[in-house]
Amino acid sequence: MLSFRIAARFLKSSPGQSALIIAGIAVGIATQIFVGSLITSLQDDLIDSAVGSSPHITLTAADDDATVSGELAAAAAKDEPLISTAVPVRTLSAIFSSGEDSVPLSITGADAAGLDTIYKLSDRLVSGAYRLGEGEALVGAIFADKYGVAEGDTLELLLPSGSIAELEVSGVFDLGQATANERVVFIDAGSAAEALGLADDEYTAVQIQLSDVFASAEVAERLASDNDVEATEWQAENEQLLSGLSAQSGSSTMIQAFVLIAVALGIASTLAISAVQKTRQIGILKAIGMGDAAAGRIFLWQAALLGAGGTLGGIALGYGLIALFGLVPVPFSIRPEPSFIALSAAIGMTVALLSSVIPARSTSRLDPIEVIQNG
Amino acid sequence: MADLLVAEELEKVYGEGEAATYALKGVSFTLEQGEFASIIGQSGSGKSTLLNMIGLLDTPTSGQVLFDGENTTALGRKGRARVRNEGLGFVFQFHYLLPEFSVWENLTMPAQIAGRAITADAKRRALDTLALLGLDGLENKNANQLSGGQKQRVAIGRALMNRPKLILADEPTGNLDTANTAVVYELFRTINKELGTTFLIVTHDRKVAQQTDRILEVLDGELVQDVRNDYAR
Ligand SMILES: Nc1ncnc2c1ncn2[C@@H]1O[C@H](COP(=O)(O)OP(=O)(O)OP(=O)(O)O)[C@@H](O)[C@H]1O
Ligand SMILES: [Mg+2]
Repeated sequence: MLSFRIAARFLKSSPGQSALIIAGIAVGIATQIFVGSLITSLQDDLIDSAVGSSPHITLTAADDDATVSGELAAAAAKDEPLISTAVPVRTLSAIFSSGEDSVPLSITGADAAGLDTIYKLSDRLVSGAYRLGEGEALVGAIFADKYGVAEGDTLELLLPSGSIAELEVSGVFDLGQATANERVVFIDAGSAAEALGLADDEYTAVQIQLSDVFASAEVAERLASDNDVEATEWQAENEQLLSGLSAQSGSSTMIQAFVLIAVALGIASTLAISAVQKTRQIGILKAIGMGDAAAGRIFLWQAALLGAGGTLGGIALGYGLIALFGLVPVPFSIRPEPSFIALSAAIGMTVALLSSVIPARSTSRLDPIEVIQNG
Repeated sequence: MADLLVAEELEKVYGEGEAATYALKGVSFTLEQGEFASIIGQSGSGKSTLLNMIGLLDTPTSGQVLFDGENTTALGRKGRARVRNEGLGFVFQFHYLLPEFSVWENLTMPAQIAGRAITADAKRRALDTLALLGLDGLENKNANQLSGGQKQRVAIGRALMNRPKLILADEPTGNLDTANTAVVYELFRTINKELGTTFLIVTHDRKVAQQTDRILEVLDGELVQDVRNDYAR
């Protein structure tokens, strides 16, 4: 391909200019990759800490006082492939008294293995063991701290029925949220059944996590109508977080767009200058018989070469920036997604090719006589 | 011999209205295959304009050019580019080499544009041409590392490489010293005799014109004289 060889030679004949524009594209693409990956990872982290260890959907009986069966959890998990875990639970409230304070607690009772799939408690223990035998309880770190409760202590709780339940603290967890760490207590399924006066297959709710957290609204709606239950989902209760995230995504997209526009203008102006510099050569090539299309393609190839060099350099530089960011002490790391990198590369190449349209056009229109006559 | 080139009533007007310049005012002549002809005339008489029309580098305002039996005036840009590549060779006062490329690459550029592979045969021909031009051993040098005379000889070599039927030269030795000038015209003659290539050479130098077989004289855009020159042979 002659046009390609000539393009490569033109670029090689002015190495400084070529290197500058490649560096320009690389910085642009690297910025795009870095900003995009940073925001995505930051948001993933925010979402993970918001709902990573709590139910995405909670199913309760349509009728307030009724209960749901354990079957519901199994049926839901079978019907909806997006459900990663569905655990039948028994929730109740209770009051803990400590001197003058009486602390309302929110109690969730379920089997230890099921709870762990939602709350990841075994990874989040501060002290004690992850164990929920008959009459055992796990309490939050703030609660433990504030009221001097530790592993092995006995916890006395006033139940809604008016009776007192005695539980032994088996461990202390840290869910990363202040409210949860102060007010949430996990107990075993049997103790909860007893406290609520429920039979073996009676539960108050089914807690569900999804593999795609943003599918919660549609999955919740389907589950509610298919099973004739009430379904509450996390997005409906976290509108503020979500609008914050979408504002953040919006500004990140805008930054990326402006960076790409700057890159496009850079390539376009460099190619325009190059087209002017090479007018003479193009005229000569046409005089000895090169066609208009082939002459225009020279600049398309130049753009493609610059775009490819700049994009590859940009990806390398982007990964470098991300690695450098890893040295900064923040609570999350940037995980560049291959699909996003591929998208950046595609955008980089497209921008480069598009910005070659004008010089390629003016080149294909050039008449050899313009060069021959003007010496 | 067969007509290689027929110029019919070629007119060229630059500009419009009051500012119009009538560079060619209806020039007609015929070149036969194998001729070695020159165009002379004063500066501004229209020699280059005529040559550029014939060379399909520019289009006439009216009239037509028939080259090798084909009416080139009817051709589009693509067709004209093809004729320039395959049928014509150009030598200008200025060499017009591509400075980014080596001597060898410049020489083979017309063949590359035609999309032809450089066969062993073409390779030998290129080397022969270099030898004929006294450029042996310079093929890998960059075009802008040569002297003015060397560059001009490479440009001549490039014009010859596709073995065109007609070579158009516009003041080909204008930038050369007497010794180099003599070499170039001897070369033209050799090629004309050995390959039967037709030459049309623009010059304002009567002494140069005297060495050609036919002298066309242009004055103010008109062909005023067309003489056979038997002394030259
Ligand atoms: N592009 C142009 N625009 C306007 N007028 C032009 C143009 N090119 C040539 N002319 C005019 O046409 C006439 C013929 O020019 P041409 O270049 O053919 O002369 P020439 O015989 O080659 O002269 P020289 O010996 O100086 O090269 C001149 O009057 C010139 O001014
Ligand atoms: Mg002239």
